[in-house]
Amino acid sequence: MKREILMPKLRPEMEKGLLCAWNAQPGDRVQSGDVLFEVETDKVVSQIEADFSGILSQVLAEEGDEVAVGAPVAVLEVEQ
Amino acid sequence: MERKPAWLKVGYNPGAVGEIAQLMDELNLNTVCREANCPNIGECYQKHTATFMILGSRCTRNCRFCNVRCDAPDAVDPDEPANVAAAAKRLKLRHAVVTSVTRDDLPDGGAAHFAAVIRAIRETCPGTTVEVLVPDFGGDERSLLAVLDAEPDVFNHNVETVEALYSLVRPQARYQRSLEVLAFAKRARPQGLTKTGFMVGLGETDAQIAQLMDDVLKTGCDILTIGQYLRPSAEHAELARYATPGDFERYRDLALQKGFRYVASAPLARSSYRAHEAVQTIRKEGK
Repeated sequence: MKREILMPKLRPEMEKGLLCAWNAQPGDRVQSGDVLFEVETDKVVSQIEADFSGILSQVLAEEGDEVAVGAPVAVLEVEQ
Repeated sequence: MERKPAWLKVGYNPGAVGEIAQLMDELNLNTVCREANCPNIGECYQKHTATFMILGSRCTRNCRFCNVRCDAPDAVDPDEPANVAAAAKRLKLRHAVVTSVTRDDLPDGGAAHFAAVIRAIRETCPGTTVEVLVPDFGGDERSLLAVLDAEPDVFNHNVETVEALYSLVRPQARYQRSLEVLAFAKRARPQGLTKTGFMVGLGETDAQIAQLMDDVLKTGCDILTIGQYLRPSAEHAELARYATPGDFERYRDLALQKGFRYVASAPLARSSYRAHEAVQTIRKEGK
């Protein structure tokens, strides 16, 4: 089953997030809790963890992209 | 955006954060974690801890470091004490931390509401220790007594910054008044722990920091927290510097040497970050 990984809302007034680094590549197996990517905000760099285990099948945003809150940044093929 | 130092990286699990956020929404509660855009929200929510922010989400003061919105305040929710207690129970909190916006519009600054929240937690969660992080109540002793009479385990009031920066950072507060609040709390209830905290990175000098520690110690304060100022947006007070982890170790050593009983000093240390550890440590050592 495919699950979209979304840009999280890290602060109440956040509309977009700067995706500053990927910690996994397409084809990588990731475990729930692994850091998938990093988002830089005014205060800190947040390391966004996977909520599910699976294979990272598609990356939809590049490092340096500003992505709207709630927009998909990757697709995870979740293990049943 | 300016690059952040390597030590300002935090974990964030969207599922864990969403779970706590949903609980708070269900109970019509605010957390300072969310409203103040706390960098530790990922870690704390994942550990099922949170700091309740009572008396609404809008503040009557406009401190230049703080992300909480200054605007016309909300009506006080009479169900809030029971809802905070219900959330503390559902989260199985061993230590509940309660703070608030500043309510200069209310005759008692919200002190009676604070007391009601403390008592509600005591009733619903008898084994849970309670820490309050209060505003200065304009220095009003009756308001302070109303909170202290509810017997919080820890009475916290932050001085936030050194005296010289008050006009820039906390224009509606006064350094001496905050010290008097801490001193009054210790005099009125010596058996309770008192606590304060301040930020570095706003332009203070090491000499001013040492003076702040001396001033706070004279109030009888037990616990000190020291953390990095992180600018919430371009509209907030400018960041003067990032202190290094080594700087924070130096500040901790100095504070302990001066006589504080517990010091949390780290770039991401915040008033309520791992607050339970301070209480446990002091009680265990039986100091």
